[in-house]
Amino acid sequence: MISVNGLSVSLGGRRVVEDVSFALGAGEFAALTGPNGAGKSTALKALAGVAAVEAGRIEIGAAPAASLNALARARRVAWLAQTRPVAWNLRVEDVVSIGRFTEAPAAYDRMGAEGRAAVDGALAKADAAHLAGRAFQALSGGEQARVHLARLLASPAPCLLLDEPCAALDIAHQLSLMETLAAEAAAGRTVLVVLHDLELAARYCRRVLVMEAGRLVADGAPGEALSAEVLGRVFGVQRGADGALFRGPR
Amino acid sequence: MSRLTLILGLIAAALLAVSALVGTAPVSLGDSLAALAGQGDAATRTILWEIRLPRAAAAFAVGAALGLAGAGLQGLLQNPLAEPGVLGVSAFSALGAVIAIFFGLTAASSFAVPVAAILGAGVATVLLAAAAMRGAGSVTLLLIGIGLSGFAGALMSLALNMAPNPYSLSDLVNWMMGSVANRSWADLVLAAPALAIGAALVLVAGPGLRALSLGDETAASLGADPKRTRLLVIGGTSLLAGASVATAGTIGFVGIVAPHVLRPFVGHDPQRLLVPSALFAGIVLLVADIAIRVLPFQQELKLGVAAALIGGPVFIWIAARMGRSFS
Repeated sequence: MISVNGLSVSLGGRRVVEDVSFALGAGEFAALTGPNGAGKSTALKALAGVAAVEAGRIEIGAAPAASLNALARARRVAWLAQTRPVAWNLRVEDVVSIGRFTEAPAAYDRMGAEGRAAVDGALAKADAAHLAGRAFQALSGGEQARVHLARLLASPAPCLLLDEPCAALDIAHQLSLMETLAAEAAAGRTVLVVLHDLELAARYCRRVLVMEAGRLVADGAPGEALSAEVLGRVFGVQRGADGALFRGPR
Repeated sequence: MSRLTLILGLIAAALLAVSALVGTAPVSLGDSLAALAGQGDAATRTILWEIRLPRAAAAFAVGAALGLAGAGLQGLLQNPLAEPGVLGVSAFSALGAVIAIFFGLTAASSFAVPVAAILGAGVATVLLAAAAMRGAGSVTLLLIGIGLSGFAGALMSLALNMAPNPYSLSDLVNWMMGSVANRSWADLVLAAPALAIGAALVLVAGPGLRALSLGDETAASLGADPKRTRLLVIGGTSLLAGASVATAGTIGFVGIVAPHVLRPFVGHDPQRLLVPSALFAGIVLLVADIAIRVLPFQQELKLGVAAALIGGPVFIWIAARMGRSFS
């Protein structure tokens, strides 16, 4: 579904993603993790088409990403940014309707029945159906995060990229988010999610990618990609006898 | 069409008719109505069809253009204080018109004034958009607007000094205060193409403006090209502001008040705000123009002055409220 070959991205003259290669198939649910500043968000932005690719090749659904225009790309890949500004005090359902810009760039009330059903469905999946009709800026941080998630899920794109979607969510909603994403993957979507919670990643994702200083340093099943060696070398943590992680020498 | 648009449209139509029935010439209501229907004596028909109606239509068209331009600029800059007048776009547009008039370009073509006004508006809008794209915040943009307005005023004075055939100072004052008195259908026909194209450009940008609410990057990832939206709004608002200045001089604050009042009625959606803002601003100028004809002043008040008398305090009120929510 999505494949990356030798991807390098620079920001302000500094290489932040260096020679990253991986491929994700349809129905795959993968976590991308790594210490702060490892280049995870930038790699995701390059996949979403909002960061300039310096070197390497991205293919989306067997088509070179460079050959797709913005609309065609948006039909295939949907991206949830780490910072999510909302300029006006929009209604919740109008924020979600923006997720279907490629299909019908209309406000919720002006969408067709299909569009409205997609928005309603996405709100329900994000456990935000009860927020419909409310003003966005009057919501709590966690509620806003769920509306953004609904915005992403409302997209018809077969590939979903999420940058720290768990931030601001309570534990129950973090679990329900992971379950929702697993269900999306089971339905055939490709899901790549940037996570800092290694436990959550190991529990729900069959595959974990680890980045460090711009490079992909581990890629595989959770047990392998998050081995004691990787935990110690990349994250500087160790697993104690009780299974909990604690800070240790790198 | 939404119910809000329908209601505002009906009010506008009713006020256009009212405006035709009000004026300094002593014409009875019955005669006016007869003349509106195309009957009665020729003099009354001329007063209604050639003096009052074009004036009313000009007031509405200029107001609608400023309302649409204001709503479009606010959506683009994501700032409820944006408006052609406040940001110096109208002043630059007036500068363009003044240059065209005082250097005798009107002799070359009757389109000289509208084209020069639109170019002037374009210069200011491009400067503002460049600042906005480089991350200038609300305060910076407003300060740039103040600078642009002052600078345009100075350049207008300079143009007056250097003009080969200086007209009277009152002509300049007319441009800076704004009025729709004595406008003919010909004036409107001249402005119509720019108004129509400008309105179309801003309306086409509507969905892009809503997507832009989520920030440039997310909008781009959704297939809503932010650069295209920016170009459409800048081009459209330049045409609208330029054509309105060419028709009526500079009239400030209308473009601020209309979107601000209507925003809660459209769920704060920058797209659905566009058409109602245009209608509402048109209504505001129509009412203001009726009021200055009815009010018993020795000399008729200028429309721009009347608009600023209402709009100025509203602007200060919005700015004060914004300040409170930021602190």
